[in-house]
Amino acid sequence: MELPPFTRKVNPEVPRLGVSTCHFVKMAATLREKQAAALRRMLNFNAPITKASSNEPQWKILVYDRFGQDIISPLLTVKELRDLGVTLHLNLHSDRDTIPDVPVIYFVMPTDDNVQRICRDFENQLYESYYLNFISAISRQKLEDIASASIQYSCVAQVSKIYDQYLNFISLEDDLFTLRHQDRDAISYYALNRGDVKDTEMEAIMDMIVDSLFSVFVTLGVVPIIRSARGNAAEMVAEKLDKKLRENVRDARNSLFTADSAPGQFSFQRPLLVLLDRNLDLATMLHHTWTYQALAHDVLDLKLNRVEIEESTNVQSPAGSPRPMKKKKSYDLNTNDKFWHIQKGSPFPTVAEAVQEELDAYRTQEDKVKSLKAAMGIEGEDDSAISMLSDNTAKLTSAVNSLPELLEKKRLIDMHTNIATALLEQVKTRKLDIYFECEEKLMSKSVQDKSLMELIADPEAGTPNDKVRLFTIALICGPHMSEAEIDQYCVALTEAGCDISPVQYVRRWKAYAKMTAAPSQYGGGGISSTGMFANLVSKGSQFVMEGVKNLVVKRHNLPATRIVDALMELKSYQDVEDYRYFDPKLLRADSSSVPRNKSPFQEAFVFVVGGGNYIEYQNLVDYAKSKSLTSPKKIWYGCSDLVNASLFLKQLGHLGKEI
Amino acid sequence: MAVDVTNLFKATVKSVKSRNKLSGENGSGDKSSILGHTRKKGDFETKAKDVVSNITQLRDFLLTHRKEYVNTGSHLSTEASKMSDAERDQIDNDAQSIIRKCQESIGILRLDSSQQPVHPQVKEHRQIVIFLMGEYLKAICKIYSEQKAVRVKRAVDRKNISRLKPETKNSPIKNTDLSSLLKKTKDDGTVEENLSSNAKTPNLSKKVPPPPENQPTFSPDDDISPEEAQMFEEENKALYDEMNSMAHEVRQIEGKVIEIAKLQEIFAEKVLEQEKDIDHIASTAVGTTENIIDANEEIREAIQKKAEFRVYILFFLVMCALSLLFLDWYNG
Repeated sequence: MELPPFTRKVNPEVPRLGVSTCHFVKMAATLREKQAAALRRMLNFNAPITKASSNEPQWKILVYDRFGQDIISPLLTVKELRDLGVTLHLNLHSDRDTIPDVPVIYFVMPTDDNVQRICRDFENQLYESYYLNFISAISRQKLEDIASASIQYSCVAQVSKIYDQYLNFISLEDDLFTLRHQDRDAISYYALNRGDVKDTEMEAIMDMIVDSLFSVFVTLGVVPIIRSARGNAAEMVAEKLDKKLRENVRDARNSLFTADSAPGQFSFQRPLLVLLDRNLDLATMLHHTWTYQALAHDVLDLKLNRVEIEESTNVQSPAGSPRPMKKKKSYDLNTNDKFWHIQKGSPFPTVAEAVQEELDAYRTQEDKVKSLKAAMGIEGEDDSAISMLSDNTAKLTSAVNSLPELLEKKRLIDMHTNIATALLEQVKTRKLDIYFECEEKLMSKSVQDKSLMELIADPEAGTPNDKVRLFTIALICGPHMSEAEIDQYCVALTEAGCDISPVQYVRRWKAYAKMTAAPSQYGGGGISSTGMFANLVSKGSQFVMEGVKNLVVKRHNLPATRIVDALMELKSYQDVEDYRYFDPKLLRADSSSVPRNKSPFQEAFVFVVGGGNYIEYQNLVDYAKSKSLTSPKKIWYGCSDLVNASLFLKQLGHLGKEI
Repeated sequence: MAVDVTNLFKATVKSVKSRNKLSGENGSGDKSSILGHTRKKGDFETKAKDVVSNITQLRDFLLTHRKEYVNTGSHLSTEASKMSDAERDQIDNDAQSIIRKCQESIGILRLDSSQQPVHPQVKEHRQIVIFLMGEYLKAICKIYSEQKAVRVKRAVDRKNISRLKPETKNSPIKNTDLSSLLKKTKDDGTVEENLSSNAKTPNLSKKVPPPPENQPTFSPDDDISPEEAQMFEEENKALYDEMNSMAHEVRQIEGKVIEIAKLQEIFAEKVLEQEKDIDHIASTAVGTTENIIDANEEIREAIQKKAEFRVYILFFLVMCALSLLFLDWYNG
């Protein structure tokens, strides 16, 4: 049931009431919500969840592997799992005891190891009934293996259901998803760009990426239009994905993209999938950052929405000198936390102020409750004033009821205070603000007030990694440097204790790729530093940010954002002109790159093959927000894995050493 | 968008079976699978399932009779309500007894499972199962107490409005009725440890319907002169107002007392929660003091040994000095 493309687009002659009502694209549930709903349904034995106020609890055991763990942990907390009736959650390859009479739900990838372990479980008769859910589609061969094992150990009747979940991706935020966390080396930038990578390995990596992207679109239930650059890994992924989608759409019996997968989901416009390769823009990966979430990722290593901080509390020993005791605490940062949701994209000083404000608001509420306690103490002796008593009891009831909320708020404020303090410490010791300023100036080609050499030679400023990052960015987008100058810098860097193999790699990369166009893509930005922070100190904030510059970041577009903008708005830039165009719903797989769609896209998925980070994500979010007044856009950002700068630098180092 | 491949799996099983039959292996394995494998259900599991089914039955029972129980007709409706008060009371009593029984059985299960020697994973699983059952029971109790609170509220409202009749005769009876109902709600609160709809009962006392005017009745027997009649009337009015205000205050106090009782329960819950922590802290403190005493002993010994060591060192140094002098003298 497939309409030719022209009849499905919006008729431009029809007068529209407003831009927002012109089309009914109702991806009402975000990707994250859909994935969470799918998981909940799976945990309800693959039956749809009814809205009854109190359902009889059915307890079950959840067994997952590493991939399953990565997928579930950002979406469902342990408490939510308990509420759904999961009593124990165990890793597939751990030692598990026999727990009789309980159904078990497996959520694993269909690899050989996992299938063998499942067959061993059948042999040991560990549980009563088995519900197997495979994260991506299981092959016929492995299904036969499971069948023969179940026959051999006579538990065919106990295998109740087998499902292919198509959930092979990790969604961290409503519009951010990655593919791998615990196995990221397989599909990292290093793996893709290694000198000695074999064709079979490349194919395997491509298949993994395509499988995950396929699951993303199956979960959403839409078939996108694909565009990608030519001549790199992204193009291969695009071709394979196109083929896979086309096969699936053709297969009318088993198609996963039936027309109306959810009632009320009309979409006259299909989303756009832009596949980019990491080689497009290496500088963003190494950039020092200034927004809250990106800083947390860079400095504190934000993993699957979780941060670990070493807190040192001072313990007084009898000898009199305080001995600092280090404790590791881990914090969860997810969208339920309203403060995080609002502040995660704001620059660091704004965050500090906001935390201060929240703290003040909390203090006033706390004082109100305390004053109530005092009032109650006085009024309790005077029992003729009944009317006063009534007000107080009502106030007391409301205060008691609001106590849990207050406690929760306090916990969140504490958490953000700790995180912000940890970040501030690092920023001060490593002088990250200076690096950020410098790099912004490099990327926007404005004049520098501090020379590169000074910064590199300065032993105070930053770790060796920071210096290498700065220099690499200068190489990529700074003014052209002769070989002699580069060697000079390399000598200085080596003296400062840095490993310059990434630099060698970037030199070669620059030579190979046609990088003359790249530096111009960073244009349009700039920063204005407003000196030392008078207003912050005057607010009496506990974040003493003297000596740290208040950098107000002007909005500028990273290369990825510019390309997405061009493709969505159908502008014609030179480098976007020859991007390949795939439409899996077309009858014939024509490789002509003529884009058939004439109206600008409202929704886009941006996927970067080879690693991405929060800076790009934030940039895209800002771009979408800025465009929301003229034409509302929804942009999802995905990458094969989220690497922070130090990890990426390590990968570049490996590549450099192999030259 | 998950794909159910169970049917595919079953077809695969059939094909593998037929393949095995053709190649003549695993004949005995086939037979046992044909007959089906009946697994004996463990003790714990059956008991747990029983308790849960009991609770579910209670829930269904409450929900089916909910509409009649609440009787959302108007206050002044003269039509007979579908359920008399006696029936309602019986429902309440039955529900309470079932809840108590379920709580006891959950407690027994908890004791049993903690005593049985089983694998740690099984133990943890059982603990969580019991916890989930407790939560389920609490949720059902909430339904029950909500219903009850609505009923009490409606009774009080009805009493308020039906005060069109002269107050002095009927008020003591009405108040005792009301207080017995309220007492029963308090009892349920202690059984369930959970009262909801706190907001509903405070409104009881806030409603102060204006006292209806009492028509002065002239007794036909006595010869009352107009002045006396007026005096009586005024006296009546004064008495009536006094009674009214007293009743009003009493009602307010009752409402407040209920609120305070609820708050107290919340506090009691919190205190109980903290009790465990406090016990733990107390025992840790005792352990700490003992450790510190031992530590002090050790330090004392160490100081002593240090002193002794110093003596030896001094002695050695003095001997070295003397030997040096001796050698010096010896060498001339």
